[in-house]
Amino acid sequence: MNDMRITERTVQTNQAKITARDVQVYYGDTHAIKDVSVDILDKAVTAFIGPSGCGKSTFLRCLNRMNDTIPICRVEGKILLDGEDIRDVRVDPVQLRAKVGMVFQKPNPFPKSIYDNVAYGPRIHGLVRNKAELDEVVESSLKKAALWNEVKDRLAAPGTGLSGGQQQRLCIARAVATSPEVLLMDEPCSALDPIATAQVEELIDELRANFSVVIVTHSMQQAARVSQKTAFFHLGNLVEYGDTTTIFTNPVDPRTESYISGRIG
Amino acid sequence: MEQHIVSAFDRDLEAVQAQVMKMGGLVEKALLDAAEALERRDEVLAEQVRAGDAAIDALEELIQTDCARVIALRAPTATDLRTVLTVMRMAAALERSGDYAKNLAKRSLVLMQMSPVNGAPGAVRRMAKTVVSQLSDALDAYIARDVEKAKEVRRRDQEVDQMYNALFRQFLTYMLEDPRTISACMHLHFIAKNIERVGDHATGIAEQVIYLVDGQLPADDRPKFDSLGESVD
Repeated sequence: MNDMRITERTVQTNQAKITARDVQVYYGDTHAIKDVSVDILDKAVTAFIGPSGCGKSTFLRCLNRMNDTIPICRVEGKILLDGEDIRDVRVDPVQLRAKVGMVFQKPNPFPKSIYDNVAYGPRIHGLVRNKAELDEVVESSLKKAALWNEVKDRLAAPGTGLSGGQQQRLCIARAVATSPEVLLMDEPCSALDPIATAQVEELIDELRANFSVVIVTHSMQQAARVSQKTAFFHLGNLVEYGDTTTIFTNPVDPRTESYISGRIG
Repeated sequence: MEQHIVSAFDRDLEAVQAQVMKMGGLVEKALLDAAEALERRDEVLAEQVRAGDAAIDALEELIQTDCARVIALRAPTATDLRTVLTVMRMAAALERSGDYAKNLAKRSLVLMQMSPVNGAPGAVRRMAKTVVSQLSDALDAYIARDVEKAKEVRRRDQEVDQMYNALFRQFLTYMLEDPRTISACMHLHFIAKNIERVGDHATGIAEQVIYLVDGQLPADDRPKFDSLGESVD
């Protein structure tokens, strides 16, 4: 009867894509992330949940060195992508961010056309040889982000002229266009309507066939729906990390239970 | 456990749990009354039990609807989810037990028209009392979230199985000795079997308590008393 069970939760591989060990993050004197060690699996969706200010976004931003851009931010510990230290001086953050793409909470399209927003990454990283290939990447990325049908007749229009939800999907298309190995999503659906949210969730599920996806979300139900692994952060600590099914039906730590069942905020 | 931030969630959960406890009380009373009606040949009491089953059924429907509402509106997780699932399963088990009590009352009304079978109604009533104490212990274990008590209820199911097997043998003997008792003994046997089934539901509720607290059902098979070749279920 095994084949009758819900199989969509199965993780195809147990190979870690990103390995974090004893990560500490300080904003000036504030200790924002305390001793976080976690293995982010390849070809799986990992959800970071936790109350506001618990450090989940900060930790997410460590994974592609976005915290480098904040002067008072100091990161310690080891973060390995495929076994290589991403904080090594020889690592070019720009190259790293092509491999580890990111979608932010607020849509932030470039002040360019819809087409150029998506084409930007493949162009600067030299991922395409000619216009035809670029057209193809733009089209498939916009389709993956469930935006193609709405914008295919106005690709030359400015990206900033789209609605909020459309802009967010444009940013997802932009992130997907460089074929990243890891996609970090910081509250990608907070500005989207339920239909667009469902489309993005469907996209996340498709992406995990090839990528490792990490999503920060405030929606418990979204974390439960899209992820295979869930990490619960609280006050800068990684409280519990495990299979999403376990976290949502029978968590080990009482703090996890309190949070997911709406008892602490 | 602390309160929910949304206090209406707590009120919803408390409401469905109060309903299932009320239902448990009604079922216990129905079983005891039905067994008493059988022994005392009290037609009025038997009729009351028959008529009372509608209230139990209505409560079950209310509980299932309310649980569905909680799932839809509150998306319960972890212990909250297990509480809702447990309440739904308990309501189903209690509804079924209520049906058995009603059936007992119906059969006792038939039996009142026949000549009494020596000692049988008393034995049936003792068995009903044992099962009801099991059922109420299972419900107490639920209220107290007491896994040890639930495990004990689960172990005690053997007792009822043994009583059923003894009655089975007794009725068989009566029927062999005097074929005129066959009709009455058949009814009495169904009654005994139904009470034994209520015991199984009490065990099921105890297992739900273990699931509610531990997050998983007990893995081992529960002890079974099955020395009698003829009584296979």
